Amino acid sequence: MSPKGKILLVDDDPDFLDMHMAVLKNHGYEIITAASGPEGLARVRTEMPDAIVLDLMMEKHDAGFLFSRKIKADPLFKDIPILMVTSVAEATGFRFSFEDDGYWMKADDFLDKPVKPEVLLERLDALLRKRRDTP
Amino acid sequence: MNSPARILVVDDELGIREGCKRALASEGYAIDLAEDGAVGLEKVRANAYDLILMDLMMPGIGGLDLIRKVHDIDPEIIVVVITGYATIETAVESTKRGAYDYLPKPFAPETLTVLVKRGLEKRELRLEAQRLHSEREQRLLELAGEKSRLRTIIGCMADGVLVTNLEDSLVLWNASAVKMLRLGGTEEPGRALAQYVKNTAIIEVLQKILASKDDGLSMIGQEISLDDPDLVLMAQLAPVRDEQGTLLGAVTVLRDITKLKEIEKIKSQFVSMVAHELRSPLAAIEGWLEIVLSGAAGGDEPQKQAWLERAKERAHSLLALVNDLLEINKIAAGKVAQKMESVQVGDIIRKIVEFLKPEADRKAVSFIVKLSDELPPVQADVRDMEKLFTNLISNAIKYNVDNGSVAIEATVDANYVGFHVKDTGIGMPEEQLPRIFDDFFRIEDPRTRKISGTGLGLTIAKKIADSHFGHIEVESRPEKGSTFSVYLPYQKRNK
Repeated sequence: MSPKGKILLVDDDPDFLDMHMAVLKNHGYEIITAASGPEGLARVRTEMPDAIVLDLMMEKHDAGFLFSRKIKADPLFKDIPILMVTSVAEATGFRFSFEDDGYWMKADDFLDKPVKPEVLLERLDALLRKRRDTP
Repeated sequence: MNSPARILVVDDELGIREGCKRALASEGYAIDLAEDGAVGLEKVRANAYDLILMDLMMPGIGGLDLIRKVHDIDPEIIVVVITGYATIETAVESTKRGAYDYLPKPFAPETLTVLVKRGLEKRELRLEAQRLHSEREQRLLELAGEKSRLRTIIGCMADGVLVTNLEDSLVLWNASAVKMLRLGGTEEPGRALAQYVKNTAIIEVLQKILASKDDGLSMIGQEISLDDPDLVLMAQLAPVRDEQGTLLGAVTVLRDITKLKEIEKIKSQFVSMVAHELRSPLAAIEGWLEIVLSGAAGGDEPQKQAWLERAKERAHSLLALVNDLLEINKIAAGKVAQKMESVQVGDIIRKIVEFLKPEADRKAVSFIVKLSDELPPVQADVRDMEKLFTNLISNAIKYNVDNGSVAIEATVDANYVGFHVKDTGIGMPEEQLPRIFDDFFRIEDPRTRKISGTGLGLTIAKKIADSHFGHIEVESRPEKGSTFSVYLPYQKRNK
């Protein structure tokens, strides 16, 4: 069975990396991982993933923003959809949504941790389909 | 006056004395008689009279002298002069000396009673005027006292006070207000507030209060930031009204809430930090349980077991985090929980080393403990010391390299015993060092990512050292290792 797509997971928490990897692998995705922003950028350059699942709060609190900005500013990578996963939202009173924040937060969709497996699969699938459908 | 007026008649002629007594007694007055000036004076000294009838021409003390002497005793006694030689001169002379009126002899009883009545009324009026006068004096005194009391009270207040009138002029203020608002020119009171205060926010709110028609408006509270960013003031402004509710002006009380704001900020930062730190492991635990329960990631039994193990590990570290938070709170709450006793820290360290040996063995880290038995004891809480050195030594193992070592030594100077925990681990870059005692701060390094920890171990260590009047220091070089030194004060032994 050929993989449904190559997904890069960027998260500094090994538990989330492993658990998202387990779910996505089980559903036929090929997975690569990175534990920090710089490592993630390096992975994007060498592996050219089809989509990125990004944790917002990494080593520094704005590492997720910086990472997604860099990707979206690069003509080579800007079409790679980014699904931003975060545990900041409720704790800090922030709430992100693509409609309200998509224009300045350089991501294509947002999810709160913990992500239900079916929601993760559904959103990721939607992002990949959208990308395939847009010429 | 309820009691009858008392009247003294001084005359050397018995007939006049008796005649006066008869005429006046029927009016209900109390009458005393004296046959000459000396006796009269005695009576005036002994009793209080409202009115005296006196003959001007008497042997011994003459009438004119008697007037002065009587008035020396009581200046408000009405003196009516009776004289057989009624001339303008003697009359004028006696009134000059203080007599109220004069009555020429012989006189009709009716003339006497009318004159006495008038005299007594005059005395009533005089006494009343005197009462009013002294009352006013008293009021003025009280007012002055009230004013000075008010000034003293507001002068002593740490809060700033400003009182303005309807024209926005500054009428009352205290030293704290001068200091907080940097008021200038207060040696000239009564000018518009804007002449003293540069801050426009206060003036605006004041005007809002003075413009308010609402009688119910009792107070406005407003936070005011000044040009000085280190100072945040809370201003309470209230209208001042008289008994009829008419607006007279406004009073402003300023409180320096800089410290409160700081504490509030630190607290809210801490809470959001804690929330994040608690949320991450909880989300991970829920995630693993979800995967196992939903079967979304597939997996056979041993695989699911492994995932549940991961959840359990996270739960375990979450528990450790909560314990550390409680620990910090306990230290912050004060020394109540501490039991200070004379402690040989060396013995405690040796026990901890024994306890942590299995952990060190797993990384093939060796211990080099060089602690003399002769170290001076320190006053400390045993449990606190155990926690402090467990945190430091456990870090020295966790952040060490395989086959590294942990050396523990002690030094003694004039006031402190120093304990040094030195590892051969990955070390820390210098710019990170100032932050390592901060809550939840963790050195970011690919090699430390897998090391579990709450991010509070060094925070607790520092708080314990501080609470024992000691201090903690760190020296570190990347790739060379770190040395944590704890200095605790000791009591020199008496020789």
